[in-house]
Amino acid sequence: MRIRQALYGLLATILAILVVRSGWIGAVRGRPQTEISFWNGFTGPDGRVMLELIRRFNRENPDLKVSMQRIAWGTYYNKLMVAAVNGRGPHVFVIHASALPRMHRAGFLEPMDSLYREGGVPEEDFEPIVLRTTEFDGHRVGVPLDIHPQGLYCNTDMLREAGIVDERGRPKPPTNREEFLRAASLMMHPRGAANPDRYGFALTHWQNNYQSVFPQFGGRYLDERGNADLDNPGNVEALEFLGRLRTEKRLIPPPDNQLGWIGFRQKKVGMVFDGVYMLGDLKRLEGLHYVGAPMPVLGHKPGTMADSHILCMRKGLSERERDGVARFIRFLSENSLDWAEAGQVPARRSVRNTDRFRSMQVQHAFSKQIPHMVYPPRIVPLFEMGLEINLAVERVIRGRMGAKESLRIADENAQKAIDRDRAESQAPGGGR
Amino acid sequence: MSSRKTRALLGWAYLLPYATLFVLFVLVPIVVAAYLAVMQFDLTSPRSAGFVGFRNFVDAWKDEYLQRAFVVTAKFAAMMVPSLVVTAFALALGLNAMPRGRNTVRALVFLPTMFTVAVTGILWQWFYNLEFGLFNFILRNLGLAPVPWLSDKNIAMPSIVLMSLWWTSGGTAVILLAGLQNIPRMFHEAAALDGADGWRGFWSVTFPLLRPVVLFVVVTNLIGAFQFFPQAQLLTGGGPELATRGVVQYIYETAFNGYRLGYAAAMSWMLAAVVAVFGFLQFWLMRKEAS
Repeated sequence: MRIRQALYGLLATILAILVVRSGWIGAVRGRPQTEISFWNGFTGPDGRVMLELIRRFNRENPDLKVSMQRIAWGTYYNKLMVAAVNGRGPHVFVIHASALPRMHRAGFLEPMDSLYREGGVPEEDFEPIVLRTTEFDGHRVGVPLDIHPQGLYCNTDMLREAGIVDERGRPKPPTNREEFLRAASLMMHPRGAANPDRYGFALTHWQNNYQSVFPQFGGRYLDERGNADLDNPGNVEALEFLGRLRTEKRLIPPPDNQLGWIGFRQKKVGMVFDGVYMLGDLKRLEGLHYVGAPMPVLGHKPGTMADSHILCMRKGLSERERDGVARFIRFLSENSLDWAEAGQVPARRSVRNTDRFRSMQVQHAFSKQIPHMVYPPRIVPLFEMGLEINLAVERVIRGRMGAKESLRIADENAQKAIDRDRAESQAPGGGR
Repeated sequence: MSSRKTRALLGWAYLLPYATLFVLFVLVPIVVAAYLAVMQFDLTSPRSAGFVGFRNFVDAWKDEYLQRAFVVTAKFAAMMVPSLVVTAFALALGLNAMPRGRNTVRALVFLPTMFTVAVTGILWQWFYNLEFGLFNFILRNLGLAPVPWLSDKNIAMPSIVLMSLWWTSGGTAVILLAGLQNIPRMFHEAAALDGADGWRGFWSVTFPLLRPVVLFVVVTNLIGAFQFFPQAQLLTGGGPELATRGVVQYIYETAFNGYRLGYAAAMSWMLAAVVAVFGFLQFWLMRKEAS
């Protein structure tokens, strides 16, 4: 008897689960729930902010159910690419602006022009430089969610201790080369004495640090014909400048010590260049006082490197799914001020022009660089070019090679990758 | 049904789960990789996919990065295999000589082998940390300068070898110990009567009788060394300046960062050919040994 009761109970439970899972209840109420899968690489504190936004969206849109899958950026694109090329990818996903050329050519991104035209995402609210990253063959394939420029983080206690303050006694981040070198030196020797454990400035991600500096020297990635131009005079001058910080001026830690960011967290480094997204990491620390500032002008003009998270949609969705994704993207775009709290600069001008955004010190300071930002080049073999830049910077910072020769090698290898990619993409089994 | 047929069917039934997985995850990928190796197949331009014959192999042959990766892999193998055999031998001889507590010590020695490479890598990342790692903490307390274990071009590879030794020598030691314990006691007794004990006994009796086991250990570890990847990926990412980027890592990056699956498959086949040479060498030497 008991066994029979247990079996009935089990059967009833299974039936209940099946009914709920099938969405039948929603259908009876006239509101069938559409499931939307959303992939991104927000595995840090930013993921929690995004999760909160999704919960809000799901509450406000009971006919839709967005579920988020977070995958570490290190393997994110592999998984997205393999899934999406086979038509099994998520409905909506985040792609860095720098990765868009690769993903676009793979052929799974749905053009989203209608979202701009009649879907409530106003084109004129975005900076042209950001919007341009989403354009391919006359179509827009995504909606920029944010901008994440590289900028300057300063330890305010160390600035104050070194006497680098304005007329009102507030710590003053350096704005040009002279001030930067002076601040780096003074923070390293706060009372005139060298402290082997302390630096005014340290490199974090060498490759990113270098790419944040070379636009200021008139450097670039590609020439007018789209060929590699990594050894142009501006790039060489920028890399020489960074190399000299170690080899001549002894202002940065030895190259074997690659702990610039950790040093900054530990109050052993006064200034670092890094992305606005690192703010989430600093917010968790207690007792570290810091400010964000635009990159000091170390070259001849302001400039920095930036990237953006772009919201994209997969091809081959049903009408209902497309509508749901469009509503979700519009929601995220309109609520990107909340997203900014995670350590981002919203892509929309109207969102940035709010008092709440202006009160976000680091994000607001970094956003001042928008007119001078440079995005990575729009090429498919970007990974190969990035690797060459990385190696070139390593050789120079380690003092193993001069900047000119190191960048010449990088340029030559990057051009090989570009040539190969051009040949391969033009014809089936195209030449190399 | 006759009992013989039943037994045969039962045998196949036992094999089926493994055989299914073997076909799905070993045989099918091998066939797919062979197909991809003669194709231009880039995920970023699926429309330009096409048959290219041996061109991927020719390009790979001329690829300077692949050559460099082979040198790095060979360097790892050259450092790893001899040091592993010596370390494991020492451990096995020590264990064999223990009058009591051998099982406990053997279990402890074997323990690191049971960790996954990810756990081992993360653990040793902390050991090697320049600022607050265990090794530099000890060095500082001894009044010595900290060592850039993973960020110096010349030290990074030995550091990876050291971690790999800690991780794998227990397993190899257990194999050698089993071999040592299989040597009949009378050989040692006879040798001792003839005055060949200690070092002489080892070279004249123990080592020759253990040669097939040593051969097995050397060749299997050599093959394993040519698949060098996760240790470097976890500890150094292949740096500094590609000093620890082996062939498998280069293949991985080509396939999953550059999305050039055809070219990566061709390189995989080239690596497989090198590994196969060692495999055949093992068979040949063992057959020679047996005859």
